[in-house]
Amino acid sequence: MSSAIVARSPGPCAWLTLIRCEAKMVVRDTAGLVVPIGLPLLILVMNAAAAGEQVVVNGRTALDVHVLPLVFTVVPATIGVVNMPSFVAYYRRAGILRRLSVTPASPVMVLIAQAVVSLIQTLIGIGAAFAVALLVFDANLPVRPAAAIGAALLATAAMYATGMIVAATAPTPNAAVAIGLVAFFALGALGGLFGGREALPEPLAVLGERLPFGATVECVQAAWAGSAIDPVHLVSLAATIVLGGVISAVFFRWD
Amino acid sequence: MERLTSGTGGRPAGLPTVVPMEDESAAVVARNLGKRYGGTVAVDDVSLRVETGEILGILGANGAGKTTTVEMIAGLRRPDRGHVRVLGLDPRRERAKVRQVLGIQLQQASLHHALTVRELIEMFAAFYPDPRPAGELLEFVGLTSQRATRFEKLSGGQQQRLSIALALIGRPRVAILDELTTGLDPRARRQVWAMIERLRDEEVTVILVSHAMEEVERLCHRVALLDGGRLTALDTPAGLVARAGAGNLDEAFVALSGKEPEEPA
Ligand SMILES: Nc1ncnc2c1ncn2[C@@H]1O[C@H](COP(=O)(O)OP(=O)(O)OP(=O)(O)O)[C@@H](O)[C@H]1O
Ligand SMILES: [Mg+2]
Repeated sequence: MSSAIVARSPGPCAWLTLIRCEAKMVVRDTAGLVVPIGLPLLILVMNAAAAGEQVVVNGRTALDVHVLPLVFTVVPATIGVVNMPSFVAYYRRAGILRRLSVTPASPVMVLIAQAVVSLIQTLIGIGAAFAVALLVFDANLPVRPAAAIGAALLATAAMYATGMIVAATAPTPNAAVAIGLVAFFALGALGGLFGGREALPEPLAVLGERLPFGATVECVQAAWAGSAIDPVHLVSLAATIVLGGVISAVFFRWD
Repeated sequence: MERLTSGTGGRPAGLPTVVPMEDESAAVVARNLGKRYGGTVAVDDVSLRVETGEILGILGANGAGKTTTVEMIAGLRRPDRGHVRVLGLDPRRERAKVRQVLGIQLQQASLHHALTVRELIEMFAAFYPDPRPAGELLEFVGLTSQRATRFEKLSGGQQQRLSIALALIGRPRVAILDELTTGLDPRARRQVWAMIERLRDEEVTVILVSHAMEEVERLCHRVALLDGGRLTALDTPAGLVARAGAGNLDEAFVALSGKEPEEPA
């Protein structure tokens, strides 16, 4: 009797359906939708005028090399470190991951679908901020576009890995939001979110530069200015991805 | 009718049996299942055999170990002791295969709160090769007019009905329903019973956990009574009433639970 039963994992149709469902969940969560798109725009608008028009390096203005990297970093950081973990913690608390584990779909599929939707949301957030920067504030394209795209992808993965640590360790959805917000502001403060790191004490500035937020800002800045990316920042981001993967794999609970 | 399956081959219950698990005729075989949480013994040496097409009711007081038992059968909880076979498969080691043929309604499981009934049905339908049509399921559980309502806006009973629909969406050969009609109004309850009767006609094997004697009497071929984690009786509803010398199943339940487990016959 068992010979007739074949293990059949869900196909592309199931993946598409899950991604569509996750997208609906994200769109219907108004606060989570607005912050990663609104906050970067706000930072852009508030800093664009002060940044001025004068060229600092390679034909790029202060807006290009100081404001844009920050604006672009905030998008994957809010989505990856705050939003995604709160969804995952909620799915666990509500028993949804457990419920899916008794269907032919694995609960891992939901996490991946959530990651795909987050990536799309990140693209939209960065795209919106970039469009406003180009059209309204006369921003320039990066000197090294390929490096900028590479840095953005690596940074998104690193923010996600950081978020997975939050998702794996937070006991409740509320705790996930709290831990995620604290992590976002701590990484941001050390990474230049509230003004340059030069204002920080030396050890904190060095630490901030090696944490994912600061490292992302540095990489994007280098890509825009056309300077070489400091390997330290690439190593920081790669290490975050590995560490986040290992820590969340060890501590993650499905129920 | 055998009263206790745990004594297979004349062995006393509680001793590990060496009878092979690969019993091709039974849909579900659970042998000597045991599970403890810290100092609490949730399930103690429970053995069950459910034949293909049989509807087995599981009765027992709150905390008797019903959910723990059925979730071990489904492969959701790992037994400390004992074995489970569902259609000859190990639900933990052959998880992927068992998921194709087993449908389960969990006692406690919420769903994506912001998705509508229709969207949730579409999601679960996408997991199975030949899902039941959404319209048929909705009608089955009486949620047709709520199909555009978000899960969070459904009443408790409506959420429960959706959960039953989703357990059956993949045309399971074995269905486990934990607290099938708890929280349902009398009309919904009868609708769900009609649905279970239809499953019975389709030869689907059903394990249903229930607190409603009327339901068990009407639907179940046999009833397993759990008490303090132990299987204290396994009989037809009528047999159980007769054993307890009671007038009805309600009285039998009260007479047979909440006391020391009796020795197997
Ligand atoms: N995850 C758990 N952690 C600790 N103890 C548990 C856990 N699950 C069950 N128990 C304990 O095991 C015993 C059996 O619980 P179970 O949920 O199986 O009972 P039940 O028969 O389904 O009860 P109810 O009718 O209330 O649903 C209870 O004493 C319960 O406290
Ligand atoms: Mg229970």
